[in-house]
This record gives sequence, C-alpha cells and structure tokens, in this order.
Amino acid sequence: MGHTWSKAAVATAAVVAGSLLAGCGGGGPGSGGGKISDDGITLGVLTDLSGVYAELAGEDAVTAVEMAVADFEKKHGDDAVTDDIDVISADHQNKPDVANTRARNMYEREKADAVFDVPTSSAALAVANVAEQSQKLYFNIGAATTELTGESCNPYTYAWAYDTYMLANGTGTEVTRQGGESWYLIYPDYAFGQDMEKEFSTAIEEAGGEVVGKDPTPFPNDNFSTFLLKASAKKPAPAVLGTLQAGGDLVNVVKQYQQFKLKEKGIQLAIGLMFDTDIKAIGQDKLAGTMFTSAWFWNVDEESREWAERFREEAGTWPTFDHAANYSAATHYLEAVQRAGTDDPEEVNKELEGMEFDDFFARNAEVRAADHRVVHDAYLARVKDPADSETAGDFTEKVETIPADKAFGPPSPDCSMS
Amino acid sequence: MSAHYDEAEVLRGVSLEVGAGEVVTLVGRNGAGKTTLLRCVMGLHRRASGTVRLEGRDLGAVPPHRRARRGLGYVPDDRGIYAGLSVEENLTLPPAKGASPWPLARVYEEFPALGERRRSPGGKLSGGEQQMLALARVLRTGARVLLCDEPTEGLAPIVVERIGEILREAKRNGTAVLLVEQNLRFATTVADRHYLLDRGRIAESLANDDVRQREHELLGYLGL
Amino acid sequence: MTSFLQQAFNGLVSGGFYALLALGLAVIFGMLHVVNFAHGAIYMLGAFGAVALQDTAGLGFWWALLLVPLTAALAGMVLERLFIHRLAALDPLYNFLLTFGIALVCQDLLRMKYGAQSRPYDEGPFPGSVDLGPFDYPAYQVFVLGAAAVVCLAVWLLLTRTRIGTVVRASTERPELTRALGIDTGRWVTPVFGFGVALAALAGVLAAPMRAVNSGMGADLIIAVFAVVVIGGLGSIPGAVVAGFAIGMLQALGNLYVPVLSQTSVFVLMAVVLLVRPAGLFGKEEHAL
Repeated sequence: MGHTWSKAAVATAAVVAGSLLAGCGGGGPGSGGGKISDDGITLGVLTDLSGVYAELAGEDAVTAVEMAVADFEKKHGDDAVTDDIDVISADHQNKPDVANTRARNMYEREKADAVFDVPTSSAALAVANVAEQSQKLYFNIGAATTELTGESCNPYTYAWAYDTYMLANGTGTEVTRQGGESWYLIYPDYAFGQDMEKEFSTAIEEAGGEVVGKDPTPFPNDNFSTFLLKASAKKPAPAVLGTLQAGGDLVNVVKQYQQFKLKEKGIQLAIGLMFDTDIKAIGQDKLAGTMFTSAWFWNVDEESREWAERFREEAGTWPTFDHAANYSAATHYLEAVQRAGTDDPEEVNKELEGMEFDDFFARNAEVRAADHRVVHDAYLARVKDPADSETAGDFTEKVETIPADKAFGPPSPDCSMS
Repeated sequence: MSAHYDEAEVLRGVSLEVGAGEVVTLVGRNGAGKTTLLRCVMGLHRRASGTVRLEGRDLGAVPPHRRARRGLGYVPDDRGIYAGLSVEENLTLPPAKGASPWPLARVYEEFPALGERRRSPGGKLSGGEQQMLALARVLRTGARVLLCDEPTEGLAPIVVERIGEILREAKRNGTAVLLVEQNLRFATTVADRHYLLDRGRIAESLANDDVRQREHELLGYLGL
Repeated sequence: MTSFLQQAFNGLVSGGFYALLALGLAVIFGMLHVVNFAHGAIYMLGAFGAVALQDTAGLGFWWALLLVPLTAALAGMVLERLFIHRLAALDPLYNFLLTFGIALVCQDLLRMKYGAQSRPYDEGPFPGSVDLGPFDYPAYQVFVLGAAAVVCLAVWLLLTRTRIGTVVRASTERPELTRALGIDTGRWVTPVFGFGVALAALAGVLAAPMRAVNSGMGADLIIAVFAVVVIGGLGSIPGAVVAGFAIGMLQALGNLYVPVLSQTSVFVLMAVVLLVRPAGLFGKEEHAL
C-alpha cells in the first residue's frame, strides 16, 4: 500500500474538511495503524435526507451511526484499532441513479469503508452493485427487498434489519392463523409493492388462508375508494384488507378505510409495513389495535428503552427500527474491524460471516454466511390504545415474538456469493 | 385631433383631425396603417409616439378604458363581438358615460333584430347583425367620437345601406366619425372628407367630388 | 351494475377536487393569462392550514372551511400585487416561472418544517354513511361532492348572472377590446386571482379529513389537474368543470376495469384532445397557447 501518498492525501482532505483529527494523519502511530487503509475508518450514511423516508431514516440515521462510533471509541479507548473514525452522509433522494453516483463518490473519493442505510429498494440494489464493483462493504438497513440477499446478493452486501419476507411472514401468517383467513390485498404498483404482494400471498396461503382479491394501485394515489369498494363488494366479504402501501399512500388508505366503514363491515385492516412515523402521521387513535410486523420498536424491552432514551437525547425524537438497526450494524462493523485489526473488507467479512450475536436491536441474531442476511427475532406488534401509552410516542405493544429462524426465510437458491 | 406616430414604420408623421358632426374616411391599401392609426387613437398601441387630443385635451397618458369613458367609441375591424356573451351583455358591457347615451329600449327600437335575439350569444349572430350590435354598443354609451374600422366589409348591400343611415344619423347628432373604409361609393355617401393613407403617410386629402371623379384611378391604386 | 355506480360515484368525488382546482386555474388564466403553477401548492397549503388551525388553535373543520380560503384569498391578492402584477406585461413565461418557483418554495418550506411525512387530521364532520339506494357511501365524501358541485354552480351563477361575471367573461374572451370599451380590467385582476387561489385552498381543506396531508400532496395532484384544464380548454370555465368530473370518472372506472391504464388514460385522452382539438373541448382557438 502506498502509505506516504495516501497519508498525504488524507491529511489534505482532513485539513480541507476542517476535521478535528487532521493532525493525526501525519502524526503518532495509532495502534495497528499499518492495517487501516487511509489511516482511518470512514462510515458513509447514504439515506433520504429530504423525501418521504427522511423521518424514519434520514438525519437521525446519521445520528445513530455517530452514536455507534462514539460508543465504540469510549469502549476501546486507546486500544481502538484506529482513533480516526469519521461519519459522512449524503442524500440519495430515493433515486437509484443518484444513489449510484453518491455511493461511488463515497467509496472512491471520500474513502468510505462502509456505507449504511439506503432506504428504497431500487436505490439499495444500485448501491449493492457499486459496493461489489468497488469491493467495499454495504450494510443495507432501510430497504426491504429480498433480492439483496437473493439474485443480487454479493460478498460485500449485508442485510441487517428486515425484508419483505419478514413483514409478510409476520403479518400474513399470524393474522391468518388468528382467523383472518380470506384476504384482499392492495399494493402500490412498483418493485416494493409487487415484492410484498408475492411474499404476502405465499405466506397467507401457506398459513391456510386465501387471497380472494388483489389490486395494484397507482403510485402515488390519493383516492383508494375504488379498491376499498371492490374489496367490500366481494361476496363473501374478505376478513382482512391487507394494505401494502407506504408513506402518504398508506395514510390515504387508512383515512378512507375508516370513512368507508370497512371495519364495521367486518373487514379488518392489516398493514404491511409501518413505522412509528406513520402512526404519528395517521393518528394513534385511528390505528389503535391494528396489527403489523416490526423488526424492532423502542419500547419492546428494558435494554431497548435505555438505548432509545440515549438516542432521544441526541436526536430529540424516539428512534425507529431503521435508526436502531443503523446503530447495531455500525457497532458490529467496527467491532469486526477491531477484531480483525484491519479494515480490509475480506478480513472483516471473515469476522462477520457466521457470527452469532445478541444486542438490543437484534435478538438471537446470526449473520448468515450463505447470503449475508442477518436473522434475528422480529415482533408481531399492535398499535396501542392512546390510553395505554406511557408517554408520547409510545405507540406499539408486542403481541408476540417471532423467533429468528421463523422470522426470515431460508437462504435463497438464487444467491451465489462467488 | 392631431397625431404623430413612429412605430415600426407603420405610421410616419400622420396628422389629421375630425370635427364634431363630421365624417372623415381613411382609405388606403392593406397594410397602409389604417387599423394601427385607430388603435393608436384608442391608446391600444403600446409603442406609439405623438399626441391625441379630444376637444383640445391631450389624451397622452390616458389608458384605453378612460379614453372610452371620455367619449371615444371603438368598433374594431372584426366587429369585436364577444361570442360568449349574450347580445344584451354585449350591449350593456361598456358603461354609458357620454352626454347622450341611448337607453336600451331605444337600441332595440332602432335595431329590432337585436331585441329579438337579446338572449342569444353574440357568436350566433350573422355578420350583419354583429355589425349592428357593434355600432349599437358604442352608440348606447353616448360616444362623441366613433372610430369604425371597415364596418361594411363583407356585408350585403341592404346592411351597408343601413349602416350608412346610422352613421349619417350620428353625424346629425354632432358625433365625429373616423371611418376606415375601402368601399369608396359608400364612403362618399356618408363622409365629408377623405384621407388617402399610403405606407404610413397621408398622401392626399380628398373631397367627395375628387373621389367621385377619380374613382377608377383610386380603385386601381387600392388594388380593388 | 352496483359496482359500476359505486365507481362512478367515486369518480365524481375525485372529480369534485379536479373541478374545484381546474375552475380556479381557469378563472385565473382567463383573467390574467397566467398558468398558475402554484395552484397545487396552494391546495397543499389549504390542507396544512386546516391542520394548523386544529393543532394550534383547536379550531375544527368548519372554522377551517371558512378561515383558510379567506386567508388564502388575501395572501393571493398580496402575491398578485407584489409579484405577478409586475411581470404581467412581460412574456407569460416569466409568470409561469414565478409561480412554479413559488410552488417549490412553499413545498420545501413545509418539508423543512414537517418533513415529507403526513400530518394527522381529525376525521372531520359527518362520520357516518349515507344510504344511496344500491350502496352505502361515506357521508363526508357525499358532502365533499355536494360542496364541490355547489361551489361550481355558484361560480357559474356568479359569472353568468352578475355584472362582475360579465366583466370577467369579457376580459377572458377579449382583454384588449374590453379595455377599449371602457372597462378597467386591471381593477379585477387582483380579486380574481385571490378568488382562484381561495378555490384551491378550499379544495385543500376539503381534502384534509380524507386524504394524506403532506408537502407532496399538491404536486402529485396538480399534474392530473393540468391535464383536466388542457382537456377542458385553457381558460374555459365550463370546460374545467365538465372535464374535472369526467376525468375523475374515467380514472375511477379505469381502476375498476383496466387498473393498469387508469393513470395513463388521462394523459392519453389529453394527447388525443390536443391532436383533434388543440384548444381543448370547450376552448376557443385563440386561447390555445
């Protein structure tokens, strides 16, 4: 490795960036400094800083990664593999082309060793592709597509938090088992929605239920009455309306579901993907009792609450599971670098692959070597009645834990790591 | 009324005046600047220079709607009928501000066809009816100066005759009329004087007799 | 048959929003010859206004329905006086750009303040259902349809039965001639702009109880509304209303029979109309841009 050149480069970059640690670039030999490329570790958070996912991921995802770095530095002190860890961030606007450019920029110009988050499946797939070409690591948190651990899997990409299988399997299977045997599915007509629809249909049928109707809906869309009426006009009426919409579309569906009185007609609402931010947007009272599957929520147990309190002091808001998973992934990445004594991706992979761990976010977790899927416990959850909330933002209660081996599907035969 | 204009070579140093109770026609080839001249008098032409005086008062900075209220009545070359407004709305749209506005009843008395079709949209009228409406509209306001742009164009002889009657009556009432006209025979039956406009300049000032005597020469000149 | 009727009714409700928005656009275009690209943003601000009244002052839907359009009208008149008016004499493109810029500024300011997430709003009045014979329908949405129809009718009467209406129609059809006939059209420009803006804000308030209130709601909707205006004929009042309801129906029935085409159908129709009648179904040739 051309240390002199890269030292100069990073020192210059650091001075330009006004980094606090600029002096270290040319200075004291940090422990194991010879093994860390560019004399430091840079974590890139590529996320939605301005769009629909800016609240559930966004700036606060950066905060979560920064917390992970601070905790790592505090834990290891002078024994840390490097004392120069930077966190950088960029807005990918949920667009695959922008994500592609920004990721390339992060890896190649800003010398990021790992990229985190990237909500929106199409954008995440683009970043996975860049990671493979650049031979740098990518920890997907925000995107739900199973394709990242299927056909598009690669040795540099990890899926840390959740996927469409987990969502479908949790909600689809559990709600069917509890008696909601006939489903009407509505899903947004793009990659995420189509993925979700397939996973839900499979899960429902495997649990002994039946999908009696399904409709792709335009995206975005503000009038769902057509689909709500089609669902309620079915004879016999379906037991469950499964909405796989997200963001503003989900809010539209819920508002109109209530106006069309589908609940009163005995059609229960099941939501494919919901974050605390959605509950806030729709209103907790309107959603009370609605079941959904979540990778995590902040009030799930004592350890999570402790972390969430710390997060709230930093960010001013309760964390979503995206925030928690960013923290978890960044922490385990840094620990793997520490154990390997190097940030060389191949060596870090050796530390991570097959690793079993347990943290506040990922319970009973394992990093599957076969497809880099992190399997962990997921939760079938229910929106609390406002009267039962302990504090503002306490929206969710656990119905049951879905154990790690059931929460996620088996490694896909489509995935070949080599 | 005197005017001097200098705009895109359409009008160059034109100066003319029309007295009360006088009908003056502007004749000239297409593109000679007749319509532009009327638009300038009305204040509709943005890039014009010169002065327009009404009864000695300069209308220089006066916007078109105030010129109308001071007594200028404009009948544009396409008759200016609102297709989407009824006959009656067309008639009553301009405020009646002049010295002797016509009551609506008088309009309908003079123009029974308009009275019969008062509820019809202006766009449904025949060409002749539209021209009557356009004239009736400015007469109703009591305008003291009529600016008529080719009112007889494309109309049947009987309608042209009726227009002549209307203009002569206006003249009797002391109204000044500046008429753009290609129909020389018609012009001589209503007008007192004629200006021949050529490439933006007044080439000649003609009396009725001049026009009658030189009819062939003038028609040839006008390209008719 | 029942489902056909139901969907047709859905379409009318959607169409009510299109009609209200297109009507405002048409009135503004007619009088000012400005295509108000900020119209979607005003719809969005209307909905946010309702949310803000609820959150800060505890004022409910009916107050919002009264106060928000009034405020919007005032703000619109100030905007017209301060900015749009100054550009009126220039190429219309300047005002297109100005209003487009205003739309982006409004959207991004709200996004900065609230993010892209939706804001919660109460259920609104009329929580029950109405029995419409073959089917039940949410009472609130029936109310929305009724309100849209009443407003459209009122605007129609205002335009056809009053002096102001005659002046506005005359100015829309022949602005220059109208001035030459002694009408100070400039006097009516500002109030008409305020009125068009108020219609958009009213649509926003009506949307708050039944649609997601977020910074993107206007941008998503306005594209369809522009298609409505083009189909109906730019500046044509009956065109805006008829095309608004028709497009709403087309989309809803499209969702029922050919879901894949329901969104594109509007733009296909727009393309066909532009080819066959460039000025729109109710437009006059000279109004075509």
